[in-house]
Amino acid sequence: MVDEGTRKTLSSIPLMKTKAGPRDKELWTTRLKEEYQALIKYVQNNKEADNDWFRLESDKTGTRWFGKCWYVHNLLKYEFDLEFDIPVTYPTTAPELALPGLDGKTAKMYRGGKICLTDHFKPLWARNVPRFGIAHAMALGLGPWLAVEVPELIERGVVKYQEKSEEAK
Amino acid sequence: MAPSTDWDEIKRLAADFQKAQLTTTAQRLSERNCVEIVSKLIELKLLDVIFTVDGKEYLTPQQLIKEIKDELYVRGGRVNTVELAKELNVDLNQINIYAADIVKSKEVQLVAGSLITHYYLEKIAREINEKLQLQGQITVGDLTLQYDLPAELLQHSVLEKYLGKLICGRQDPSDPRIFYTEEYITRTKAKIRGALMGLLKPTPISLIISHCNLAERLFLYLFDQLNAPGVLTGRQSGAQYVPSCYTKSQNEWVMNFYKQNNYLEYDALTRLGISDPKGYVKRVLSNEDLTFLRSCVIGSQIKQQLENALEECIASKSYLDVVSLLPSVLSDEDIDNVLETLLKDNLKSTILFEKTVFSNQFIENLRQACMPIVQKNAETIVNSGKYQQFCLEKQLAKSENQHQSHSFVDHKAERREERRKKASSGKVGGGTQGRETKTKAVKKHPRSKQTAHDSDSDEAPSASKKNQDILEIVSNEDVESVIKESLENEGLEDLIDQIAEYLQGHLNQTALALAKELAEKLLQDANQNRKQTHSSAQDRINVLINDIKLYEKGLKLFSSDQHAQFIKYLLKSFGSDILSEFCKYAANQCNLSVQVDVLSVDQRNKIMNDLSDEYMKPLRALNVTLGEQNIEQFYQAVDVCLSECGMILKKVDKKKDKILVQNHREKLISELENCEEPALVLHLVVLALFTILNQNMLHASGRQVPIIISFLKSQLKEEDFEKLQKYHELVAAYLTASDEHRSSIEEKLKEDMPLIKNLVAEVKKYK
Repeated sequence: MVDEGTRKTLSSIPLMKTKAGPRDKELWTTRLKEEYQALIKYVQNNKEADNDWFRLESDKTGTRWFGKCWYVHNLLKYEFDLEFDIPVTYPTTAPELALPGLDGKTAKMYRGGKICLTDHFKPLWARNVPRFGIAHAMALGLGPWLAVEVPELIERGVVKYQEKSEEAK
Repeated sequence: MAPSTDWDEIKRLAADFQKAQLTTTAQRLSERNCVEIVSKLIELKLLDVIFTVDGKEYLTPQQLIKEIKDELYVRGGRVNTVELAKELNVDLNQINIYAADIVKSKEVQLVAGSLITHYYLEKIAREINEKLQLQGQITVGDLTLQYDLPAELLQHSVLEKYLGKLICGRQDPSDPRIFYTEEYITRTKAKIRGALMGLLKPTPISLIISHCNLAERLFLYLFDQLNAPGVLTGRQSGAQYVPSCYTKSQNEWVMNFYKQNNYLEYDALTRLGISDPKGYVKRVLSNEDLTFLRSCVIGSQIKQQLENALEECIASKSYLDVVSLLPSVLSDEDIDNVLETLLKDNLKSTILFEKTVFSNQFIENLRQACMPIVQKNAETIVNSGKYQQFCLEKQLAKSENQHQSHSFVDHKAERREERRKKASSGKVGGGTQGRETKTKAVKKHPRSKQTAHDSDSDEAPSASKKNQDILEIVSNEDVESVIKESLENEGLEDLIDQIAEYLQGHLNQTALALAKELAEKLLQDANQNRKQTHSSAQDRINVLINDIKLYEKGLKLFSSDQHAQFIKYLLKSFGSDILSEFCKYAANQCNLSVQVDVLSVDQRNKIMNDLSDEYMKPLRALNVTLGEQNIEQFYQAVDVCLSECGMILKKVDKKKDKILVQNHREKLISELENCEEPALVLHLVVLALFTILNQNMLHASGRQVPIIISFLKSQLKEEDFEKLQKYHELVAAYLTASDEHRSSIEEKLKEDMPLIKNLVAEVKKYK
């Protein structure tokens, strides 16, 4: 299950109200609006808690999303690219988040760098359709995965720290 | 339209999202970090902050000061630093440090751990004023309790500062810690005045105060302003308020009592509430001539009275009962004192018994009254020989002393003797002068039992012999019995004992002196007497013998056969008289006392038995001759006795004989004149006639009358003889007659009596 901190962050993210996918023209916009609002809230929350850990943006239609996510380990910031599409069956089906940079480096990953989410995530999501959105997927899916996998990857030496000018700033 | 707006909106949202993501993250530090950072900063003196007690917050000093000030304001201007610390959650030390800063501003002061602003004090002042107006008086002490502020602060910063501004009242001048309102003062004054007006007797201040419910200090303070009708005895709490009316009446009472009675008793004054009666009296009666005694004061009047009475007493030779003249309150001691001063000047003319002063004259009178008994007793004791015996015993004792002990005892005894002599001689010498010394002695021991004996009392050993030394001639009882009546008449029975004792001492001395005198006289007399008795006895015996001889001559005229009975009678009467004389003389010589003049036969015999041998024999012989009728033998016996007694028989003087006969005759005649008894008349007539006719005396008994009558027959005239004869017969009849005839014969005899009496005269004439 999810830890206490996660649950707390989760509860502070506003829930979706509209059940609509990219195919539902008008409703999707409503849904997208809700998604954005939720994401904004989530990011704001994160920033407030000094827990900002990703950048995300989408295309015009809001079906394809991409950005970056990072994890601080031993005072070093490890940054990874992030991308995913909104499935047609969204929101019934959860989006498949992918970290293409780590493709092939860990067992907990599908082909193309799609992360292998825990057994808990899918039933949790299923139970919360249509109330869960992208922000939830990020908080419940990617966040915990990074926290578990990245330290192990660094340990194994699979992921190396890369000096970046960003960090200094 | 709608979709486009949706999408626009989405675009905008996306932009917002980007914006949100791009905004800088708040740099959040963990608490631990923060604490570390701040402590680091403080360490480096880069930051000046104050920790809260729980350490979770920091305050800047400015903030703290501000908060303190706010707190002060909220709490009305007064706050305790401890509470402040609790409230602001700041350490007390910090508070104190910054409180000091605050205090610097002068608006606020720190008092006993409290921060107090000036407006708080002002507020208190207002409150106090309200309270003062309500209660009338207020003390700093109460206020300190109420406000829990130091008295100093309240006193100076509140009360005195605002007095007259915010607080309308007055400070107690004697105690700056008490404040009153004017009304309260006035009210209290009125209350005190009322209380003081109402009081009539001295009252303790405490009582007044408790009654009026006042503070003592206030009472004393206000009392001075009151012009109260009275005075306070002091300024202490134990003082009394003495109303002037009380003082006045007290003085009046004292003055009146003194004026009326001329004395003042301390007890009475004390009862009136005067604590120092003596001083008081001195003050009040300063211009009086007072005498202060133990229990009272007496005025000059009493003294004057006493002196007058005393003078009068001396003048009138009476006595003075001092107690009756003095106030009854005087104690014995006081009376003694009064008397002492009183008698000082009159010591010589008075004697004091208990409380009664006697003039010497009075006592002297009593003494004179006792003199007869003294005289009598002295004589009795001397005559009875007890005194001599006593003197003898004393002498014996003295000589024994001399023998037994050493010379100093001798001295003592002598001294004592001398003293005694001196005393007695003084007594004998001059009545009143001799007394002076005595009086003084009595003065010293007025009630001493040994008034007369005190000269001996210094010699302890002789004290026991006192009774022996001093013969009590006059007993107390004697004196008492004499003076009792006169004293009882005066109502002085109580003093009988004392006076008697006093007098007895003197009288006894007098009596002793008298006795001594008498004894000496007696001794002289005795010597003389012995001579005298010797010669007188000799004389008397001579006379008697002479008489016998004369009578013998007379009886020889009768016929010789009749001689015997005459001689018998003669010896029986005169012979026994002679014997009696001898007995008396002999008894005297042998120191046998003979009380009676005329000795009976028994007494004579008794004396003779007691006589010493030399006298006894001849007297017995003489006694024997009396029984016989031989006159010659009698004479011989008498001669023996005379020689034994050293006497001589004087020669008979014939001329003297004649005179004797004549005397005898005259005696008979004069006896006859006075005689009324018929038989005796006859007897006397017969004897007288015989004497006249024969110029000789005759000694005869009544039985021999007839013989004499017959003898006279030849010498008398016929008629005279017959008269005599007749009378004789009548007498004989009278003596033998029975009772019924006796009276008639007696009348006849009485008729004849002048006749027969005349007979003698006639015979004498014609003879």
